[in-house]
Amino acid sequence: MLRKTLIYNNTLNKIFQVPDKIVFRWGIFFPVLILMFISLITLKHTSINSSFFSSTFTKQIIWFGFGSLVFILAQWIRIQYFQEYAFHFYGILIIFIAITYIMPVIGGSQRWVIVGPFSFQPSEVGKLLLVFVIARVLADQKGNMNEIKLLLLILLMALVPALMVFKQPDFGTAIVYGFIALPMLYWSGIRSYYLFSVIAPIISIISAFNIYIFSIWMGVLVMVIYFNQPKITMGVPQFITNIGCGILSPFIWNNFLYSHQKERILTLLNPMRDPHGAGYQVIQSIIAIGSGGIWGKGIGKGTQTQLRYLPVRDTDFIVSVIGEEMGLLGIAVILGVFFTMLYWMIVYAGIISNKFSSLTLIGFASILFIHLIVNMGMTVGLLPVTGLPAPFLSYGGSFLLSCMLILALSTNIVNHHI
Amino acid sequence: MPKFKKVQLVLAGIFTILFFRFYHLQIYQHSKYEEKAGNNSVRKISIHAPRGIIYDRNGIPIVDNRQIYDLAVIPFDVTSQFDYQMVSKQTGVSSSELQEKITRGKESFHRFRPVPIKRHIDFETRSHLEENKLSLPGTIFSEFPARTYPHKAKLTHVLGYLRVVMDMTASIPNQGLKYKLGDVFGFSGIERIYESILRGNDGTEFRLVDIYGIDHGVYQDNPGQQPVPGKALHLSIDSKLQSLIEDLFSGKKGAAICMTPTSGEVLAFVSAPDYDLNSFAGPVPIELWEGWNSDPEKPLINRGIQGLYPPGSTYKLLAAALAKEDEVVDKNWTVNCNGVYTLGDRDFHCWNDAGHGTVNMDEAIYQSCNIYFYQLIQKLSYKNWIEMAGKFKFGVSSGIDLLGEKRGLVPERSYMNRKYGKWGWATGNLLTFVIGQGDVLVTPIQVAQMMNIIATRGNTKTPHLLLDSPAEKISVSLKPLTWDFLQQSTWDVVNHKEGTGKAAKVIGSEVHGKTGTAQNPHGEDHSWFAGYLVKDDIPILSLAVLVEHGGRGSVEAAIISHKIFKYAQKNINL
Repeated sequence: MLRKTLIYNNTLNKIFQVPDKIVFRWGIFFPVLILMFISLITLKHTSINSSFFSSTFTKQIIWFGFGSLVFILAQWIRIQYFQEYAFHFYGILIIFIAITYIMPVIGGSQRWVIVGPFSFQPSEVGKLLLVFVIARVLADQKGNMNEIKLLLLILLMALVPALMVFKQPDFGTAIVYGFIALPMLYWSGIRSYYLFSVIAPIISIISAFNIYIFSIWMGVLVMVIYFNQPKITMGVPQFITNIGCGILSPFIWNNFLYSHQKERILTLLNPMRDPHGAGYQVIQSIIAIGSGGIWGKGIGKGTQTQLRYLPVRDTDFIVSVIGEEMGLLGIAVILGVFFTMLYWMIVYAGIISNKFSSLTLIGFASILFIHLIVNMGMTVGLLPVTGLPAPFLSYGGSFLLSCMLILALSTNIVNHHI
Repeated sequence: MPKFKKVQLVLAGIFTILFFRFYHLQIYQHSKYEEKAGNNSVRKISIHAPRGIIYDRNGIPIVDNRQIYDLAVIPFDVTSQFDYQMVSKQTGVSSSELQEKITRGKESFHRFRPVPIKRHIDFETRSHLEENKLSLPGTIFSEFPARTYPHKAKLTHVLGYLRVVMDMTASIPNQGLKYKLGDVFGFSGIERIYESILRGNDGTEFRLVDIYGIDHGVYQDNPGQQPVPGKALHLSIDSKLQSLIEDLFSGKKGAAICMTPTSGEVLAFVSAPDYDLNSFAGPVPIELWEGWNSDPEKPLINRGIQGLYPPGSTYKLLAAALAKEDEVVDKNWTVNCNGVYTLGDRDFHCWNDAGHGTVNMDEAIYQSCNIYFYQLIQKLSYKNWIEMAGKFKFGVSSGIDLLGEKRGLVPERSYMNRKYGKWGWATGNLLTFVIGQGDVLVTPIQVAQMMNIIATRGNTKTPHLLLDSPAEKISVSLKPLTWDFLQQSTWDVVNHKEGTGKAAKVIGSEVHGKTGTAQNPHGEDHSWFAGYLVKDDIPILSLAVLVEHGGRGSVEAAIISHKIFKYAQKNINL
């Protein structure tokens, strides 16, 4: 009955299809079970003082239940639908992000679209939509477009929503939007030198704050340009652009960044700068992780965590809790299973010959990767505090749902092609 | 290399970098961060060691401990039920001030941290507040060690008082004892001298504290240290005798010191006026102390060791001892006293204007004739007289275990030359010295010690307050005849029908003594009596009594001494 409806209904069969097979790809799915397990026992002990129904532990179990349902249902989605309507979705995304600007400010930012009792964050699901549209554009190329033009087009498509969410302000999501295009571009076969040229100005901007690092970077830049031997009309302007970025960055610093964003970047550079201000969270996080040692202090026994020296321990800094209570062992398990998951997504992307599907897999892997790296890098003081949660570890319903959806669609793609 | 392998390699590289960052923190720098985590959450709490109790010689406690309390409020726990009026009534802190403190506390990040309301409240106030605990949510009490003085005997100047360490730079005695801010320490008296015995060692406890300051119990990994209580002190004081003398001195100024002659143990030590150690809870409030300090009666001065007085006629015993020892005059040598003696163009008076008639040395002592000694001193060597004063321990501190003792003044030749110039003084000055006037200054403890020396024929010990303490021996060697004379003549002072110290006589025991009337520029003469009591051939009590502006020694001081001797006769057995 359902099968017939899906096959013969003209509207529905654009969106849905009966899957050829439903197979759990354990390389992708098993890590999720381990991460959820670690997350839940951690939440169990950080929420020990709240009642059963209001505890983050219980809520996260319920969200995981929802997520599992979404995972199953997503197997019936016809993935080509997103390819066909990628531009529509992209347009809708831009409109919705624009709508957030007229929405009320919540916690200092305008990230939500609120309709009556419901609210949702368009930029959350937008990560997936951006992957689809980039995959679509790249898949459509049959070698008929200039590589540089293509590169700039893709970057423009990513940067428009990235700058829009940066303005909300949501620095973390902006980083995600800006980042996911790069692995996808690489995967689509763009020359590495062009990608390097794109990243170079960003490095110039950051390194400009230290004259020695900037000098070294300029040396590297000259070497790379020289050995790739571009036309003189390209190499020289590229070099000048980079120097220009280095000189302009203080200007940008002074005029375009919000004070809390500046604070976060400065704190990254020196967490001890202001122990009770912005650096405080990072210091407490590093202390928690460092004091955990190799085996950890035992679940529920971390003094930093249980005595609340560690801030936002359920969400942004849950990795610090794991580092304190389960030690390097727990961290190794997290890194190990995450690597396994991403490893298999890349393997499948390599096997699948359909360009859109392959690129989508890489895009999804990029989303998970950038969240994890930025979050863990933040807990150990390598990257600024951006508020990006750790996939499958941090408490938070809608984020867990979108992570589950990413894996569900990945499984869907893999099952469809292999 | 296929593209996906390259991507996986980059991925592996980034994960490895991240892993090594964790490795660096968790293995390489583990101990550093473990310590930091400990500093965060583990609080070292000091547990006060109870201070040693001070007993008198009969085991009666005269200084004990009591807890007083500091009242604080945890703002977070304060509800609308909180009875501001009651706290205000009990502590004297105005309820608007209370309300402001609590409201401010509630808004601050540290709303779980106790806000101090009132320090040093006593047990009664605490009980009262505790009874109404239900209408006072959030109140907590912390204990603070204080002293209490259960016995009637005040013994103010001996015991001394405590102070609190307010800042570490202030002059704290016994720096070696590792004080912390807020600790109490013995600031004066016995409390100070024996601080190291009384204090004990504070214990420590490690407790887990969260970021809001909420206590989460004892830190299991480190048991801390139990406090070691201070040791008890047993003083040689007889608290009954002490309170008896304190009563005798009520309304008077002066000092009285009683000792056991053979051992130098101090049985009673009174300096009047004094101040009430029980009049405040905890350390001395600064206003109260200022009040004492500016009081014209000078209650803070310990007259027993710090009061400098002319000794009056008690000093005549020195010249007598010297005359006997050096056999300067034979025992039939007499002087005719007609009330006045003229040297050069100056008249020197006897206290008895009518004169004593012909007196020998013994009579001169018990009748306290000045004229006899005016003549005697002219036969003596000034230097030997100074030496004799030294033998009887004048001009040096007695060595009693109290701080701030004065040495008095024995005016030697070099002193006189310094003060008046070589030609600025003459024999006339010596005439005043011999009767204990002029430049001579003594403390009551020195006079009492002279009686120890006479009573024991020169075999006594340094005066001391701590029972069973190894006191230094004092030996003064004089000829037996000299001792005989001193003891006989002091006996006569009290027992002869013409003796000036008759008022001190006790029937049934042998009382020896010497009166003194010290002229001073401040008004009425000071009244002295120094003496000792012999019971069953053993000297059991020596004393020196000084009543400032008490008039003749034969009256005030001798009457007080009589009452002391009566007590001693009945109650003191060696």
